[in-house]
Amino acid sequence: MPHRAAHPIRAILDRLYFASGMLAAACLLALLVIVVLQMSARWVGTTFPGSTAYAGYCMAAASYFAMAYALNHGAHIRVNLLLSRLGRFRRGGEIWCFGIGAALSCYFSFYAYKAVYWSRKLNDISQDQDATPLWIPQLPMAIGMTILSLALLDHLVRLLFFGLTDIGDESVQDHHTE
Amino acid sequence: MEHFALTGIFLFVLFLLLGSGVWVGLALLGVAFVGMELFTNRPAGDAMITTIWTASSGWSLTALPLFIWMGEILYRTRLSADMFRGLAPWMAPLPGRLLHTNIVGCTIFAAVSGSSAATLTTVGKMSIPELRKRGYPEHMIIGTLTGAATLGLMIPPSLTLIVYGVTINESISKLFIAGILPGLVLSALFMGYVAFWSFTRPHEVPPPEPPMSFGRKIHEARFLIPVLLLVAFVIGSMYLGLATATEAASFGVIGALVLAASQRSLNRKTFVESLLGATRTSCMIALILAGAAFLSLSMGFTGLPRALAGWIASMDLSPVVLIVALTLFYIVIGMFLDGISSVVLTMAVVEPMIRQVGIDVIWFGIFIVVVVEMAQITPPIGFNLFVMQGMTKHEIGYVARTAIPMFLLMVVMVGILVAFPEIATYLPDNMRSRPG
Repeated sequence: MPHRAAHPIRAILDRLYFASGMLAAACLLALLVIVVLQMSARWVGTTFPGSTAYAGYCMAAASYFAMAYALNHGAHIRVNLLLSRLGRFRRGGEIWCFGIGAALSCYFSFYAYKAVYWSRKLNDISQDQDATPLWIPQLPMAIGMTILSLALLDHLVRLLFFGLTDIGDESVQDHHTE
Repeated sequence: MEHFALTGIFLFVLFLLLGSGVWVGLALLGVAFVGMELFTNRPAGDAMITTIWTASSGWSLTALPLFIWMGEILYRTRLSADMFRGLAPWMAPLPGRLLHTNIVGCTIFAAVSGSSAATLTTVGKMSIPELRKRGYPEHMIIGTLTGAATLGLMIPPSLTLIVYGVTINESISKLFIAGILPGLVLSALFMGYVAFWSFTRPHEVPPPEPPMSFGRKIHEARFLIPVLLLVAFVIGSMYLGLATATEAASFGVIGALVLAASQRSLNRKTFVESLLGATRTSCMIALILAGAAFLSLSMGFTGLPRALAGWIASMDLSPVVLIVALTLFYIVIGMFLDGISSVVLTMAVVEPMIRQVGIDVIWFGIFIVVVVEMAQITPPIGFNLFVMQGMTKHEIGYVARTAIPMFLLMVVMVGILVAFPEIATYLPDNMRSRPG
């Protein structure tokens, strides 16, 4: 696409996606540290109460913070068979996908915030040994999905007004999912 | 009748969203939402968040990002070059010679990575040019590699098995251990095929390598041995009940980091790249799992799984007939969806069915992986075909044709699994497992 680097909003958004991706990576690192601590605690004969719950929270935070970042890298998979054959209707197909995607993602985000709000209001506590107030680990889910919604809307707007998006065509070499 | 129409709408939305290219995770979310709105008065959104939160923060799933990371680290080391150099001298005396490096290389890399695309690129990067240089026929190089790379899905750590285990709430360590023998049997079948080729078409086999002394062979393999030890340690710790799958995965990550550091391929850049790569991949699987968790909740309200299980029961099918039917079903699904998506999409419906006819769920996990592996090498969406096309610039049709013998061997593998289910169930039945 014609690069409109001049616009400050562009730079802010891109930085936001990237920053939340980095935050996600930090959460993954934290997950490793927690698991290692848990094992070390067992070897020296003590326990790390609630470690499995904390590990789960870190994983969830890593997953959701990375949503938009993964989207921009073309990491989220989709069935490309029809889209790639649409030819000149491709743009229409993409608008449909980003539209539906953005709507679902916004829906998800809304209820994620609602869950955080009610967890906090009702003082919902984890049933595990960690006894964490649940709204804290649930917040990353809400924030991450919001950033994903923002990214999907961002792409949708660019598709509608500039006609293109810059999501890399999934370079197959980088796909380590299968 | 009205219920029938609603089910029709539900399935139509499923095909529409998935087929039109909406990201799989979000598409499943959308279908589930439609299902909830059609079949129940429950508030969809709140039920969705509760289900998804439980699915995304569960302890058993934490093995997934760690195993992905372990593979990402080793993928960025010199393993590719070491693999070929280390294996070639040992494979040279076998009938079919160095072609076996493709298969054994894939088997070993499959044991450090749960991904067949990573397996294919790592092994192929070195073995394709080396084998070409020595004059091995192109169709054998491409075919064996494309087929053997699917072992990445079966030999632990296997991402598909983690996802399957989390979906049906079964022990991941058990599933991993169950995958070992079938993985080795399949790899032996592939090697047998290479030997068979060398006997039937001796004129295609290039001249032998110069002989090498035993000490020299060990010397060439010196970089490979630590990798084998790491694999043995990770899998062994699960088998002996010393560690849960997640803990074994964290051993794996640390071991991989140490290996990479000792090879001097670990620096700030490769560390960050491996971490980010793992973050992206686990995020994409997390989105699919989130959608799938909501979908299986919604699926329950549609009554589809119960109806199908009842229908299967009323037909009084033998398990073998059901397995044949499911094999065909998964091959067709696999033509359009990747392995993980096809597992999560179908398990809500298939699980009651297999429990109904009394099929062991651990065994079924291995079965489903073999079938999903087949889908990796069948057009139009076979993932390994794309990766191979990217690497060699051959047309997808050509790659698919070279892999046909491997595909048939996998069909044989399904037969072996049905005839001798112990291959999958013996080890998990005899392991010491650790709760959690």
